[in-house]
Amino acid sequence: MIIEIWTKEKYAKNEEAAFLGRLAHAGLDVKAARLSRLYRVDAGFSEETFSRIASELLTDNITEHCSLKPGKAGLKNAYRVEVWLKDSVTDVVGESVKEAVADVAGELPEAVRFGHAYYVQCASELKLRQAVSKTLVNEVVNKFRIEKC
Amino acid sequence: MLKTMSDPLSGFTSLSDRQLAELDRTCGWSLNALELAEVRRQFKKMGRQPSRGELETIAQTWSEHCKHKTFSGPVAFKSGGKVKKYKNLFKETIVKATRTLNRKWCLSVFTDNAGIVEFGKGGKWGLAFKAETHNHPCAVEPYGGAETGVGGVIRDILGVGLGAKPVLNTDNFCFGYLDSRKKLPRNSHSPERIMRGVVEGVRDYGNRIGIPTASGGIYFDDGYLLNPLVYVGCAGLIPVDKIEKKVVPGDLIVSIGGRTGRDGIHGATFSSANIEEDTSASAVQIGHAVNEKKTLDVLMRARDLGLYNAVTDCGAGGFSSAIGELGSETGARVRLEDALLKDTRIEPWEIWVSESQERMILSVPKAKLKKLEAILEAESCEYCVLGAFPGNGRLLVTHGEEKVADLPMAFLHGGVPNFEKPASRRKVRIFSATPVRPAKTYGGILKELLAHPNVCSRHSVITQYDHEVQGGTVIKPLQGKYGDGPGDATVIWPQAATLDLHDLSGFAVTHGFNPAAGKIDPYQMALQAVDEAVRNLLCVGAEISRTAILDNFCAASPRDPEVMGDLVLAAEGCHDAAMAYGAPFISGKDSFYNQAKDADGKEYPIPLSLLISATAPVEDIRKAITMNFKEAGNPLYLAGTSCRGLGGSVYADMMVAGNNYIAPLDMKAAVRLYTALLKAIKSGCVAAAHDVSQGGLAVTLSEMAFSGGFGAEIDLSSAAKEKDLSALELLFGESPSRLVLEVVKDREAEFLKFVEGLPVPEIGFVSEEPVLEAADGGERLFKEDIGGLKARWKRELI
Repeated sequence: MIIEIWTKEKYAKNEEAAFLGRLAHAGLDVKAARLSRLYRVDAGFSEETFSRIASELLTDNITEHCSLKPGKAGLKNAYRVEVWLKDSVTDVVGESVKEAVADVAGELPEAVRFGHAYYVQCASELKLRQAVSKTLVNEVVNKFRIEKC
Repeated sequence: MLKTMSDPLSGFTSLSDRQLAELDRTCGWSLNALELAEVRRQFKKMGRQPSRGELETIAQTWSEHCKHKTFSGPVAFKSGGKVKKYKNLFKETIVKATRTLNRKWCLSVFTDNAGIVEFGKGGKWGLAFKAETHNHPCAVEPYGGAETGVGGVIRDILGVGLGAKPVLNTDNFCFGYLDSRKKLPRNSHSPERIMRGVVEGVRDYGNRIGIPTASGGIYFDDGYLLNPLVYVGCAGLIPVDKIEKKVVPGDLIVSIGGRTGRDGIHGATFSSANIEEDTSASAVQIGHAVNEKKTLDVLMRARDLGLYNAVTDCGAGGFSSAIGELGSETGARVRLEDALLKDTRIEPWEIWVSESQERMILSVPKAKLKKLEAILEAESCEYCVLGAFPGNGRLLVTHGEEKVADLPMAFLHGGVPNFEKPASRRKVRIFSATPVRPAKTYGGILKELLAHPNVCSRHSVITQYDHEVQGGTVIKPLQGKYGDGPGDATVIWPQAATLDLHDLSGFAVTHGFNPAAGKIDPYQMALQAVDEAVRNLLCVGAEISRTAILDNFCAASPRDPEVMGDLVLAAEGCHDAAMAYGAPFISGKDSFYNQAKDADGKEYPIPLSLLISATAPVEDIRKAITMNFKEAGNPLYLAGTSCRGLGGSVYADMMVAGNNYIAPLDMKAAVRLYTALLKAIKSGCVAAAHDVSQGGLAVTLSEMAFSGGFGAEIDLSSAAKEKDLSALELLFGESPSRLVLEVVKDREAEFLKFVEGLPVPEIGFVSEEPVLEAADGGERLFKEDIGGLKARWKRELI
């Protein structure tokens, strides 16, 4: 199960502006962008338990909202970039969350991995791929994929 | 050709020099031809072939990272037709100064993971201080490299004596210019990317473990485009009766903290090689601050209960270095099958040399293991018993029935051959003519200087760090009325470690650094770095007669005689400065081979970079002072003589100065001046002090003004200066030993008594009007609104 955490739109301006600045620095002109955090929780929990983990553990309900169905940013003609640490790389955030999930669900999940998703409204997937390689990921430790959404 | 590893190892003692070199490349050991030949000779003498584990152990133990072969080796320095020979450059310069000074307050120097000096009242505490570099890993994976660098230096503090409690982290970085237009080679990261990753790594590790990151600096030069420098430091408090450690034969070898995995293999040997285009990230990892915090908490409790006899950190070389170091006299019997692993798909020799993070090795008496286990379990800290220290002087490592290593410690630690390295003085043409004044106003130049990356505000980096955690950061990195002025030094009141709220003793920490000067004159660069560090300590009112310093050298390949020549001159400068300022070196670090090669074979060496980190006690933290103007009407004094030359200045980097002269530093005059000024500061008659360094006097005055929200009226005609000094040199030159002081108006007469006979003229006064106005007699130099100056200075770096 992948849980997606969003900063509510009214609080997201700063992180979006900084993100647009980074892509501009990498030579990509972006019209709009949205950012989210991803938690991949490998466990056989019920949907209700996952929902509880998402809303009670992983979300600050004042500034954030969560979703168990990732990929809905509300941006038209955008690309979705998903970035994770490679499985061989220690995921410190994932490890800490794993312990916390056990406290909420009463059962230790097999694994938790932490990642990011970026929704980017831009003209060219190729240019986006180049900008992502240049500024968002280090392919030595990260894996990523880009899809149209 | 070498087809498999088993082939060459079974016939190792018969391999030719060429085959040995090929084997070295295949295995990533970074041993040179002489060392490989010595290993072959030793095994021939033993009458057997080595195992992979033994060769890995030797490669780790003999690496530049662990043995400091370049700095501790013999050097022949050629200069002007004369040759000066050193048997051990480090001992004959840095260590010699410390031994000659022989300060009683130095409790442990050059023998442990960090230097220790006396701290506080009552002689109960020692202050441990250490800086490390993590350059190569940060070039490959900036975030993970920086994180594990911070984690490593914290473990140095945890592993000094029987363990010190960390109370401060420091961070100093060098990057290529963020807007550099130089074309980068393939597979390299842009400087902006490296900087962002490094800052985030230092931030996340320091903030998560709960240690304030509160002292540092950032320097930009295109020499660092492919080789960023990441100096991370840590200071901690240790009870003086916990400084001695000794492994007792029969003690158990206990590893606590993180598990061992395949990550981080060959970090130590990696640092002994130039970075090549195909360098992989196998040598870097992501740090786990929470695991290290658990280790820290266990150590502090177990130390106070006397549950172990010795401790050291697992750094470069992993178990092989840490256990080898602790057992250097007693020997060690290690059973690797008992190690806690992250991954079972790991070879025994890999367990032995893996540099997985957050691990510490303890020497535990058998009778105390149960009590230690109870603490480890209470703190949820994983551990394993790996064997024992037998007392027979032999290193025996096994994994089940397999023998991984069986070596005499004397060979391992004393067998590394060293050879004389040639060094020569670099030829630099010096231009000392009066610099040409550009067609710009002085005010315009000042604004450009304030926005220069080496001068502008670092708030966008500093504010990411938690510099308040532990509640002891008295003088903060950002100071002044608006909490954004650039401080000279940080003052820490380590009550979280001493738990003594009645002892108001603190300590100041700062740094001196100017590689631009080193490109012209490495000797003067070293003097100026020490001078800047001492002056920064003085600016907060620290007791500079008890300054202790760390030398942190980074250089390109020592195979280049000119790089070695720069090193010799800088090391001599360190010696002379330490003697003049009475400031002993207590620990240090050197990092070589900071030289990258791209796919086209082009070399990118860094300039010689010497970071001097310094600490001195602050008797009463309540009396420490900051750098911003405090009150309108207070008189301003410029202490020190302004000398000719723009060599090594930010101005010279920005404009065509036609002058690269660096005036020699008069250290005796500096010490006289600082001694008097410290008395004045301690008496309370100085309201603010700020050193003149990068950007020069005009930048110093601007920073004091806009950080305090006041203006100033300045007349520099009375300034102590060399004959024929131009206005350009006076305003923007960076000649050392100068600082600006704001004196409390009612106590001016008292101040003047302290500085009688010294070059400390009054140059103006603080004004209510927010305008900085400078003149030289009848000539107005500039008049600028402080809001406009601050706007240029306070740019976002990232």
